Amino acid sequence: MNDRIVRAFIVSLGVGLVSTGVFAHHGAAVYDNDTTVEVAGKVTRFEFVNPHVLIYAAVTDADGKVVEWSGELTSPNRLARAQRSTVKWHKDMFQPGDDITLIGNPARNGAPSLRLREVIDGDGTQLIGGS
Amino acid sequence: MSNRIVSVSTALGAMFLSPVLLAQSVGQGADLSGVWTNDRSGGGWQGHAFTEELPPMTEWARERFEASKPTFGPRMVPVQETNDPVYECFPPGTPRVYLHPFPMEIVQTPGRVAMLFEYDHLLRQIYTDGREHRTDLAPMWMGDSTGHWEGDTLVVETVNFNDKTWVDRRGVPHSDQMRVIERIRLLEDGRLRIDVTVEDPIAFTEPWNGQRTYRRVDWDIEEFICMDNVNFESFEQEVLDYDGGSE
Repeated sequence: MNDRIVRAFIVSLGVGLVSTGVFAHHGAAVYDNDTTVEVAGKVTRFEFVNPHVLIYAAVTDADGKVVEWSGELTSPNRLARAQRSTVKWHKDMFQPGDDITLIGNPARNGAPSLRLREVIDGDGTQLIGGS
Repeated sequence: MSNRIVSVSTALGAMFLSPVLLAQSVGQGADLSGVWTNDRSGGGWQGHAFTEELPPMTEWARERFEASKPTFGPRMVPVQETNDPVYECFPPGTPRVYLHPFPMEIVQTPGRVAMLFEYDHLLRQIYTDGREHRTDLAPMWMGDSTGHWEGDTLVVETVNFNDKTWVDRRGVPHSDQMRVIERIRLLEDGRLRIDVTVEDPIAFTEPWNGQRTYRRVDWDIEEFICMDNVNFESFEQEVLDYDGGSE
């Protein structure tokens, strides 16, 4: 776990050099590009929609409270042709209850939301980022 | 039946072949056709501007620039606060459309080079049949483009813009006097280079240049409709409305 956080931090430094526009075509003022957060939980919703693909996951925090986190990615067509992902994504990629790990830049206001940099499925397959 | 098949296939063959033959016969300089995607490896500014430094703006432009609220660059704001016309789904204009991170397809026919942009399915037509610019049309978002070949380089002149778009994604304005010159050519390594010169005596103190490089891909141009942005705006609003998790 610690290794992954460290790696995620390094990744965030790497993408920081190219800053905005790597994934998003909307800008990202809502998110803190200098910080990286990792959460793991179970998928509650997966919206393969324009302009940004959204993933929601139920994450249990240290106090045992379940919080629904959201994560935004780029557009479905860019993910479907692996333009910005390590595999070709599709609309049936996740089902509710699937294990998932989300790594990304957190919302500046503390909302449980990430601008995603990495997505890892329950088998440990890196679906985006991490290269 | 077989005669009909032969005649149909002959007709189809003529439909598909004739543009190629005609293109050769009218001496179009190079075959730019294909699906192209931005090929950039430099700094972050390349995602939202043609140049790292701001263009040389006049007082007229500086005033408008300072009133702009872009979602990219050092002055970026959340989508909810922007006054970027693109978020109202107006076309990004020329040359700004090149800054949106979606591929475009070039379709080349005799007398015309068409650019089909995945972004909002915008179509840009560059007439290469020797015509003059139209004088009967109102100012346009994407402008009126004519082109000619200088060797293997397609030289495009675009005029008759309205003044409602920004020239990049960081809020630099332009006037309805903007004139955009593009020199489009294939590089030796097969990539596509577009050199852009922007002239606008009202907005800029002197012409300035930028460039984009594209690489050829085997993708299809798919659907990306701007009005779907409402999905993202409601998502962002949910995030911004976060109240600390109180129940």
